[in-house]
Amino acid sequence: MTQTDKLITQLPTELGGLDAGPLVRTDHEIEPWEKRCHALADVLDFHKIINTEEKRRGIEALGSDLIGKLTYYERWAVTFANILFQKGILTPEELAIKMEEVQARHSAAKLCDR
Amino acid sequence: MELHGHDHASEPQAHDEAPGYYEVMETALRELLVEKKLIDPAEIRRQIEVLDSRNPALGAKIVARAWVDPGFRSRLLADGRKACEEFGITFYDDTGLIVLENTAEVHNLIVCTLCSCYPRPVLGLPPDWYKQKPYRARAVKEPRALLAEFGTHIQDSVEIRVSDSTAMLRYLVLPLRPAGTENFSEEQLASLVTRDAMIGVVTAELPETKEIMQ
Amino acid sequence: MKEAIRDRQHSSEDIVKAFGEEPMFDIGDEVIVSVRYPIGHFRVPNYVRGKRGIVEAVIKPTAINNEEEGYGRNAGKRRHYYRVAIAMTELWPQYVPPGDGLRIEIFETWLERR
Repeated sequence: MTQTDKLITQLPTELGGLDAGPLVRTDHEIEPWEKRCHALADVLDFHKIINTEEKRRGIEALGSDLIGKLTYYERWAVTFANILFQKGILTPEELAIKMEEVQARHSAAKLCDR
Repeated sequence: MELHGHDHASEPQAHDEAPGYYEVMETALRELLVEKKLIDPAEIRRQIEVLDSRNPALGAKIVARAWVDPGFRSRLLADGRKACEEFGITFYDDTGLIVLENTAEVHNLIVCTLCSCYPRPVLGLPPDWYKQKPYRARAVKEPRALLAEFGTHIQDSVEIRVSDSTAMLRYLVLPLRPAGTENFSEEQLASLVTRDAMIGVVTAELPETKEIMQ
Repeated sequence: MKEAIRDRQHSSEDIVKAFGEEPMFDIGDEVIVSVRYPIGHFRVPNYVRGKRGIVEAVIKPTAINNEEEGYGRNAGKRRHYYRVAIAMTELWPQYVPPGDGLRIEIFETWLERR
């Protein structure tokens, strides 16, 4: 196989048997938004809006660069957006507008706290 | 960021910290889906409660019961999910469970080399290291060296059996019961069973033995 | 009298099973993981392709091919998954000690009789 064949016949998330360094016994307390993200994944699967296997495939499709740079739940959030766009459930514009609204809500709340 | 609803208890407000980019994205996605009536906020709140209620103590109870009750042990090994359901542990994600019995001849280890499959309904969420490259790459190729990094040394005469989850079955390791626990109550036995022992990276030990090993 | 004759005319040989209902493999069967290199999404890791194993369990009930499920197919042809035992020495020629093994679930369409 040529070098480039290997890039697409091996999934970026597929790690079995690869060379790897020593175990790093990390763990972190899951943040509230991450837990909500996990709950969202479960609910999307119950409804078959995005089933769990679609989520896995969507994460693989992010590519090794993004997979390496985004954290576990960050990958999930971006994957949900991508798949919902592909299915015509949301548009990028809708999501962008809503994200601005959410961001502004927080900024307004911060102002009120002063 | 709070969920729109009446239950604020599970959502501590963090006015001091700006939500990160991805938190904003998660919130926006959820709110849009609710607006389009594709999901209900109550379902999200409920699922958070479900996740919060699943933790290694559930698995430890199952293991302790299997140690003291041979009938339960048989049922657990025959159908892991059905036996867990006897304890009210439901499998909300349609996965099945195979319980892998450690014996004098076999030591089991679980991994997901493709992603992060883990018996969440009975153990809760997996630790970060389980989801990262060193563990997932090496568990199927050099399990003994990997176990050594956990301080676990299995004799060469004992078979190490690595289960790689790829489909809808999940695994739970049933560790060997430590010697000297004949008079322990079920509760005491359960306290000896750690999450890591049910993944198979360590064995279940009495506290004093653990200290010697470290 | 007529009913008894009617009953005798029906036997279990008349029962026809739907596609996929009958498992292709049984416990103890010697199998080999197919060699092919899909792109996109797959659930049989590269490290087991072409490796020889023995069927340890027939997973029931039948299920959808998760490689198709990853593209949103929530219903379709159902077949069996099998828990296959593969020796570590089969996966990694230099592996010691020789008794260690792998267990992995593989969809029916990825297995061939040896």
